[in-house]
Amino acid sequence: MKIEARNLSKTYVSARNGEQVEALRDVSFTVEPHEFVSIVGPSGCGKSTLLALVAGFIPPSSGQVLEDGVAIAGPDPRRGVMFQDYALFPWRTVLGNVEFGPLARGASRADMRSVAQRYIELVGLSGFEHRYPHELSGGMRQRCALARLLANEPDVWLMDEPLAAVDLQTRNILQDELLRLWGDEQDRAKRRGVLFVTHGIEEAVYLSDRVLVLGRRPGRIKEVVAIDLPRPRKGLRNSAAAGRSIDYIWSLIHDEAARAIVEETA
Amino acid sequence: MPVNDATGTVPVAPPPVEVARAGRRLLRWLEFPVALAVVVGLWQAVSAIVGNNTMVPSPLRVARAWVDLAQGDLREDILASLLHLGLGYVLGVGLGLALAVASVRFAVVESIVDPLVELLRPISAIAWIPLAILMFGVSGKVPVFLIFYAALFPIFVNTVAGMKQVDPQLVRAARMLGASPRMILTHVVMPFALPFVLAGARLSLGVAWMAMVAAELTGADAGLGWRLFWYQEFFAMDKVMAVILTIGVLGYVFDTLLRKLQARITRWSPDSAVDETR
Amino acid sequence: MSAQRAWVPLGFFTVGLIAWQAAVVYSGQRGLYPYPTGVIDAAMRTVADGSLLAATASSLQRVLVGFAIGALCGVPLGVLMGFVRPVGRALGPIVDSLRSIAPIAWIPMALLWLGIRGNAALFIVTYAAFFPFVVNAGQAARLVDRNLVNAARALGASRALILRSVVLPGALPAILTGARISMAFAWGSIIAAELAMGIKVTAGGSGAVGLGQLMVSTLYVRRDVNGLVLYMIVIGIISLLIDLAMRRLQRTLTPWRQA
Repeated sequence: MKIEARNLSKTYVSARNGEQVEALRDVSFTVEPHEFVSIVGPSGCGKSTLLALVAGFIPPSSGQVLEDGVAIAGPDPRRGVMFQDYALFPWRTVLGNVEFGPLARGASRADMRSVAQRYIELVGLSGFEHRYPHELSGGMRQRCALARLLANEPDVWLMDEPLAAVDLQTRNILQDELLRLWGDEQDRAKRRGVLFVTHGIEEAVYLSDRVLVLGRRPGRIKEVVAIDLPRPRKGLRNSAAAGRSIDYIWSLIHDEAARAIVEETA
Repeated sequence: MPVNDATGTVPVAPPPVEVARAGRRLLRWLEFPVALAVVVGLWQAVSAIVGNNTMVPSPLRVARAWVDLAQGDLREDILASLLHLGLGYVLGVGLGLALAVASVRFAVVESIVDPLVELLRPISAIAWIPLAILMFGVSGKVPVFLIFYAALFPIFVNTVAGMKQVDPQLVRAARMLGASPRMILTHVVMPFALPFVLAGARLSLGVAWMAMVAAELTGADAGLGWRLFWYQEFFAMDKVMAVILTIGVLGYVFDTLLRKLQARITRWSPDSAVDETR
Repeated sequence: MSAQRAWVPLGFFTVGLIAWQAAVVYSGQRGLYPYPTGVIDAAMRTVADGSLLAATASSLQRVLVGFAIGALCGVPLGVLMGFVRPVGRALGPIVDSLRSIAPIAWIPMALLWLGIRGNAALFIVTYAAFFPFVVNAGQAARLVDRNLVNAARALGASRALILRSVVLPGALPAILTGARISMAFAWGSIIAAELAMGIKVTAGGSGAVGLGQLMVSTLYVRRDVNGLVLYMIVIGIISLLIDLAMRRLQRTLTPWRQA
């Protein structure tokens, strides 16, 4: 599936004082069927808003989001989303959470279970099917959220800072797992399109084929940086080529990031 | 030390740390009985000093009076009270839940029910007693009505709060996974609101219990509350104390039962909803 | 609520009131059922002859005294139970059991011990006001944020300073919440106590006449239904005012509270 964003703009009206906040202005880009695209930018550049627009949770003020040429009309299992806080249903076990997608689409009891089990095994959570989310560590919750997403076999993965809530060591391990599940080591044709929002430039460079660099106030695309690293990416985290891309992207963001520290409120 | 022939091991005394821990646990279990004994002891002392068994009946007399009651009227009093409570509570909680769900689902309902609730809530159930007596006469209907009224508000307020506070991310996740609006209501909003509903049910029980006693005391002709004044007319204070203690213990038992139920059902939550009076 | 949405309940209630008035007046049953203008008449009458204000003042006075005593006894006990865990565990079940006895169940005993001059009602109110303080002060004492205490210690604060500047402000919100609940219970109990005394103690009067006793005499002696509804509304209004006042107090004393 190809995702296309055409001239997306989003303006919020502040509930408190009626002020208008322009979150995004005239953003256009594509996510080709098998590519991994990251979005980076300083705080307040509208990354999460952009993802929410592509996911279909909020309507744009102007512009369109197209999937295979057709305008979207709301959230859909074909555009699977992974949330920053995982949004796991706390009253459902791991199995219950992963089954939810098939359940929502009317699968039979047996089908639900087998599909869920398959993906739970795939992400490495076998043996934890009957645990509740609050009993799991951050990394395991991320895997559960991923399994839940995959159980619906979406055509595109939309991920909003999925690794933000875990420590750095876990994060590096989970990045490799994510790449493996995505098909980093396999044929290009086996991979799904991914739109990945992150604060981490290193992470974006390590994972992606292209990086969209956003500016803030208003949110807009500053530049699209192609990442010139071969796949599989394993072992290339600290390579010279990666370092060059990281430095370049950082140079694009640096000033605005420094300003954001002072200007952004909680 | 003799060697155990079967296993070839030597029985060893448990390490000192384990003994200390076991000892501490035993002490913990003793805390409550000891405190109880102290309170009863003080009570006995006070009653001995006052010397008048009508003013301050001794624990022994109260215990004997309780046994008397248990073999006699107590059973039908408890039954009558439980009947009042059961009927009023079920009606009140039932209506409260229904109104809450309707309120959240339909804005029109909310715009009528909400101000009505805000208007009536400050008027406690107690204030309705004279009017209730006027409407129903001194009878069992008075406590049932009072209990119904009292139980209505906490469950309503808490259920609405619970349903409205659903984490929007969870709703988004459900939409993304393909759930219909109906399924979102049953599979996301309601499970999320459950702890709140239970907290509300517990609060409702608390106020219902108080309303029951107050209503039976003033406007009924049966039940534990009514029995209090029945014995007071005869100045049988030991029996009065016995009834008071029964009311206290029963109330505590019911609250504990509901609390355990609450804990059981919300097993999945690391921290269940907080009771406002705790 | 937007201006448009406000019209629905407003309209609903106005129509309701008019319908109520019409129904009672035209059915000719004015003596039996309350009706809006009758309630207003009762209001004007009882304000004019001072009975309403006197009764309200009596009730409020008892509430305030009971509240004060309840606070003075309840907070220290609660804090003790919260800080010293064994005491909390030992006394906990006893306090909980006593707490579930409705305050007015003690009226027979209170009447016996304290006579009928109104001190019995005061005892009931104090009993009712006592427990929320114990519970909330206990919780406050138990949940003092250790991190804040440690931060103060690392900065070199003395025990006294820690108690004054960390523990007390930390516990204050919970204690004030307890005060608010306590006030609400106290107001509810005084009415109940006065009602019970009014109904059950017919000989010799029961001391100063509060709202509860006023309601009883209106019920059994005057048979004035409109008066009853009026008193109910007054009780409700005072409940509201008390709650508003307590919330205001809470906001003033603990401005750092986000909730």
